[in-house]
Amino acid sequence: MNLEDYQTVFTVTVLGLTLIAAFPTISMVVLFPEGSERFSEFWLLGPGHMAEGYPFNVQNGEVQGPVYVGVRNHMGGSQYYLVYVKFRNQTQSLPNVTASTPSPLLPLYEFQFFLGDGEMWEKPLTFSVEDVLFQGDSAFVGSMSINDVVFSVNVSAKWDSEYEGYYCQLFFELWLYDREVQDFQFHNRFVGIWLNMTS
Amino acid sequence: MLVSSVSGVGSDEALIAIDRADSAIVLAYRAVLEAEGAGANVSGLLEELNFGAEALATANMLYRVGNFGEAVNFADLCYDSVVDVAAKADEAVRLAEFEGKRQFYVTSAASTLGVCCVVLGGVFGWRVFKRRYFRRVLETKPEVVSNES
Repeated sequence: MNLEDYQTVFTVTVLGLTLIAAFPTISMVVLFPEGSERFSEFWLLGPGHMAEGYPFNVQNGEVQGPVYVGVRNHMGGSQYYLVYVKFRNQTQSLPNVTASTPSPLLPLYEFQFFLGDGEMWEKPLTFSVEDVLFQGDSAFVGSMSINDVVFSVNVSAKWDSEYEGYYCQLFFELWLYDREVQDFQFHNRFVGIWLNMTS
Repeated sequence: MLVSSVSGVGSDEALIAIDRADSAIVLAYRAVLEAEGAGANVSGLLEELNFGAEALATANMLYRVGNFGEAVNFADLCYDSVVDVAAKADEAVRLAEFEGKRQFYVTSAASTLGVCCVVLGGVFGWRVFKRRYFRRVLETKPEVVSNES
């Protein structure tokens, strides 16, 4: 190597070290784009805290659960969440994930909570169907108790000859507070369990 | 207007209490987000908000089932638990901004010192290297090459 080659190596080395020395200050001024995807995890676990053993055959007044509903925040900052618990028969509408619209059914129970980025929230939920009447090919559910709060539901389930049961669904919608809209918006996630009304 | 049979509280009154609690919690949340954006540790403030959020959710549910008296109680509990959070968050913003500025000045000074050391060290090192390089070149004895032709 001649002197010019050595000079080039020296200059590049000094420039590199200068950048390293200046990086802490540069990083405080320049905003680097965040690479990770932003999303929320939403889950429902059975009584054994596993994705199995969910309540299925339910009787009038029999307490079911607990099932565990949980959320983990990966949205890159603190978020304000709302979970609606709803109850429907086979013909009533579920949320439409494609259209990002929630179920038009009125909520029964609800949870509201704040989560920092990366934090997790989980709550148990016990429930029972009340005032269940079987008439002809229908089962009528008059009310439902969720975590000891009794709600009037008035849902009628027709006999399903294919799966042989009177099916209703208990489902959970995840909503997120939108700062720009200044209200909760459906976060396009829901989970649920099918329940067979038995006498 | 529906009236709770137990406490004599009407649905309108319950709704007003719930709206007040709802506005307070949203206001507090916005202040907490500002504090978080300023770099403050907001985990304690989120805990306080969660207490209020749980009370607000209970108030909403009790309102739905027609227990307006209890709904008002829970809405008031929510309001009382979050009404100070916005002020605490504002204080956290001020502290975070002060700490941020202090950290920026310290980091800038350290970086400037580091850059100066690297540049001066580079210039000095280059001069020393160049001097040695020339000395080595000058000390090099010319090789005698036999001319056989």
